[in-house]
Amino acid sequence: MSEDLSRTPVSLSSVREDDPHLQPAAKNPIVVERIIALNFIAAMLSLAGFLWAYVVNAQAWKLGATFGGGLFFLGVGLVAWGKYLMPRGPFVEERHVLSSTQAERDSFADAIVNRGGGVIKRRKFLGGLLGGSVALVGAASVWPLLRSLGPMPKGTLFHTDWRRGTYAVDQSGRRIHTSDLAVGSIVTVFPEGKQDSERGQAVDQTVLIRISNQDYTTQKGREGWGPKGYVAYSKLCTHLGCPVGLYEQQLQLLVCPCHQSMFDVTNGAIPNFGPAPRPLPQLPLMIDSLGYIRAQSDYHEPVGPGFWERA
Amino acid sequence: MSDVVSSKLTKGKTFGAYGRVGQAINELDERLGVAKGGRTFLDKVFPDHWSFMLGEIALYSFVVLLATGVFLTFYYIPSSAIITYHGSYLPLDGQHVTQAYASSVDLSFNVRAGLLMRQMHHWSCDIFTGAIVVHMARVFFTGAFRKPRESNWIVGNLLLILAIANGFLGYSLPDDLVSGTGIRIAFSIAESIPLVGTYAAFFVFGGNFPGASTIPRFYILHVLIIPLIILGLVGAHLFLLVRQKHTQFPGPGRTENNVVGSPMFPVFMAKTAGFLFLVAGVVGLLGAFAQINPIWQFGPYDAAKISYAVQPDWYMGFLDGALRIWPSWSFHSFGHTIPLEITIPSVVLPGIIFTLAFAWPALESKFTGDKAMHHLLDRPSMRPKRTAAGAAVLAFLFTLFIASSTDVIANFGHLSLNSVLWAMRVLTFVVPLVTYPVTYYLAKEMQRAPGSGKRKTTNVVTRTVAGEYVAAPAPAYSEDVHEELEPKVVPTYIEVADPSVSGAVTVRR
Amino acid sequence: MDRSLLGVVLIKVEMMSTSALKRSVTFLFLLALVAGPVLVFFSPANAASHNGYQTSRKNSGTPNSSQVVRDAKGNVVSYGNNSITYTAPSTALIQLGHALYLQNCATCHGVEANGVTADGTAGAYPNLVGVGPATVDFWIESGRMPAADPRNVQAARHVSRLNHQQALAVAAWVNSLAPGFPLIPTPHLNNANVSDGAALFALNCAACHTIEGSGDALAANTYAPSLRNIPAYQVVEAIRTGPGNMPRFTGNLSDKQVNDVVKYVTTEIQHPNNPGGLGLGGLGPVAEGFIGLAIGVGILALLGYWVGERD
Repeated sequence: MSEDLSRTPVSLSSVREDDPHLQPAAKNPIVVERIIALNFIAAMLSLAGFLWAYVVNAQAWKLGATFGGGLFFLGVGLVAWGKYLMPRGPFVEERHVLSSTQAERDSFADAIVNRGGGVIKRRKFLGGLLGGSVALVGAASVWPLLRSLGPMPKGTLFHTDWRRGTYAVDQSGRRIHTSDLAVGSIVTVFPEGKQDSERGQAVDQTVLIRISNQDYTTQKGREGWGPKGYVAYSKLCTHLGCPVGLYEQQLQLLVCPCHQSMFDVTNGAIPNFGPAPRPLPQLPLMIDSLGYIRAQSDYHEPVGPGFWERA
Repeated sequence: MSDVVSSKLTKGKTFGAYGRVGQAINELDERLGVAKGGRTFLDKVFPDHWSFMLGEIALYSFVVLLATGVFLTFYYIPSSAIITYHGSYLPLDGQHVTQAYASSVDLSFNVRAGLLMRQMHHWSCDIFTGAIVVHMARVFFTGAFRKPRESNWIVGNLLLILAIANGFLGYSLPDDLVSGTGIRIAFSIAESIPLVGTYAAFFVFGGNFPGASTIPRFYILHVLIIPLIILGLVGAHLFLLVRQKHTQFPGPGRTENNVVGSPMFPVFMAKTAGFLFLVAGVVGLLGAFAQINPIWQFGPYDAAKISYAVQPDWYMGFLDGALRIWPSWSFHSFGHTIPLEITIPSVVLPGIIFTLAFAWPALESKFTGDKAMHHLLDRPSMRPKRTAAGAAVLAFLFTLFIASSTDVIANFGHLSLNSVLWAMRVLTFVVPLVTYPVTYYLAKEMQRAPGSGKRKTTNVVTRTVAGEYVAAPAPAYSEDVHEELEPKVVPTYIEVADPSVSGAVTVRR
Repeated sequence: MDRSLLGVVLIKVEMMSTSALKRSVTFLFLLALVAGPVLVFFSPANAASHNGYQTSRKNSGTPNSSQVVRDAKGNVVSYGNNSITYTAPSTALIQLGHALYLQNCATCHGVEANGVTADGTAGAYPNLVGVGPATVDFWIESGRMPAADPRNVQAARHVSRLNHQQALAVAAWVNSLAPGFPLIPTPHLNNANVSDGAALFALNCAACHTIEGSGDALAANTYAPSLRNIPAYQVVEAIRTGPGNMPRFTGNLSDKQVNDVVKYVTTEIQHPNNPGGLGLGGLGPVAEGFIGLAIGVGILALLGYWVGERD
């Protein structure tokens, strides 16, 4: 069986000028050259088109098409040149052994162990003190950088801004009245005065839902929390803190859009599906003499996702 | 006149046989000694199998990221200060938005080529991470991570982690409704770490969510700190590659002691520069025709607002999928809570996977007892256990990635969301368990079939005048590297001489 | 559905011990399979349709509005403001409406439109008395009624079987049994502010319908439909009446706010500008990821196949 010598690799340093390895790979170099030339011309026209499109402030897709197209044609031409017109090879190169001789390795180790180790051995006490000082330099560099980054959490995560008598307002600051909502309605509420603040939106956000026309008790021990069928739950999902804005009024479920935890609105927002581990905290409500909806107190537990200090 | 000028310039030196280039080389070499190393460098041979191009996709999409990113830094304002938007997109007019969001919208609508640069930047990031994963799979399945390239494998894994992190930080910068939800989730994940979680979250974000310093810190991490680390690691990655030389598949003329392919100059440089333009071109065309991350439609982030169908970008998808399917097991007693439903899917699971990835070269070397140097690659079918294990892990991660789209799947398939989730929970176990044996047996089959995976010669069917059909194999093309296998006499004795001298393996029969 | 059993098991889910875990996981699995369709039919909130539209807030879809017009008998003919005008269907259509009702609706909803119990479930074919013309018109003109398959958990949008006049006729007849609200709305989009609408949409609608209005799956085979092909007045009807699992927006949104949302939906949601190129279905990062990987990395890998060698 004949071996195709043209496929045997040759070394670059020893190749002769008339070697077929230096010939282009294309059978028809002239034709290929013309095709590459067309690609380069297309690239130049396209990129010139991009410059023109930029000057006349053309739409984004025209800018992108000319820019991307120009680069693409340029790439095709250049790759084709390298692949079909340049020396076809293949070429070979010997791998030189990376590792040094044992003698060289020994001398390197000797420098470290004997010269360096000798120094430390003679002055062990100083070496220890040096190590201690460098360690403290490290601590001095890192600790202020990290500690100054932010405030200590302290009790921030344990309370919201809801207090006894706080009015429930919507995002425009309007107080919610009992006659506002029908059964099956939902509105996002905040403590009055906090609807525009970052903390108000991030921590105090609450959903107010009317599930009945009569007073509603969602759990034992929560009598009086749901006057006239209005119940309020923290909008922060107990899984990862996404706002639980998705309410299905017939299934009576609050579904979290992030990871699809489903909370039973009629039963203390207990999650009956999905990864949320705890029910949404319920805000005890009351209705004042004028019919406005107000909170009885803050939430009875921290809102939002779990954390170490949360009992 | 010209003689005077030329003699003044050259002071008696001539240009010699190589013209001005030779002159320049002389000057440089006198000062830096570049000539000898230069010739070696230009002669460097690169094996150019197509699967070695996958890493180049990653490298060149990173170049596109840097170039488009520089453009974006001139227009984006990394500030959480609230302003009233009065720009050219009317549905936002009068709304209170952060300066980060407003500057991103202005960049998209009022800066020429701004939207194109933003879209190219985002598409390029998706392609960058995708190419890293595909390249990593190629390295894994061909065993290129073995000695002496374990350190390069480690560097590559670090690059993957940093690319994912930087992508998340980057798409969170415009502070729109969709990415802002992701930041909220990141805060909660940080908060959930046992013992130090609340401190970690408050320190990194500068206080309780949303935090005063979130956007500026994400910005500086995204444009300075992480790209510098990535550049350093890419430099190390390429340095190791050049120093140890690239691996190659076994074939005619290829041994453990040589490299066969195309020389650096001019062939490889032309092809690789051309590939850079191809990558940039494809990214440019995607940026032109496919809209990505339309932040003006999403609106500004507001902690009380949310959209449905808010998956993260694809490379974070496996984390989102894990969070969705993980059951709601939370552990609390003794006055403390460990939110296992957060910690396990988002910290423990990627921790295990990446630790396994980092440790794989050491593990494989221990289990196979193989401590030799390898410069020749394996065909994946030659190592069925490794290939099957890799395929199973990839299948597992892919199932988690699909699990992040449960709502979209339920919507398109008109299925119950609840049953899709349960199906994903089951598939997460079943798919990898099935993938392993299937891949294993496929690999074994490929080993057994001679010439499998190689290009086959065609049969030419001719009809004779008499009406007979005759089939004959067509003549093999001279460019077809594969030769017909012939039975060879197996040597009974192989003598290995001094391995430090190349090509010194003698075979005796 | 026995909710206390639900509650007992689910509290155990939170404080996990192994055997309780196995029990509750099995229970949750069966619950998911069974409870979904059952909850839809057993839901007590179907009674919502009987409570009628209630809010005392002015200019929120009830006759408590700026301009009220009554007929000789004192029935409300129209009311509204310069944001939305609500009109009663003409009483001349009542006879036609009765005939159409008997033809198309009576088999399920009963000859007197007070609902039919099916297997003892009161909510299966709801009582229509007092629901108001907007509710009847919405369900008919969106093609959801007459129901193509009454066994479906959620009726899908179709081309309507009755034309606009016929739908109004049925609404007129149902309304004649017991007058209800709201009436048939006509939004005045020229007076609407699209930017306010965008902000309200993000707060109230995006959690179910997605911020781009593509719709998405909700719990147990319910879903929020796409908002792409809906005429403006039907958007008002849906918002004000809260069809199916969609919450009702009554006093928490004024007519001006509803008009703003409708303008946003009919312009930006239904005709997005998409300056960046193809909209990719408005599905966000899911579609982008598939395109980036399949087309981006895919095409580049194919190009790499061309640039490199085969063996």
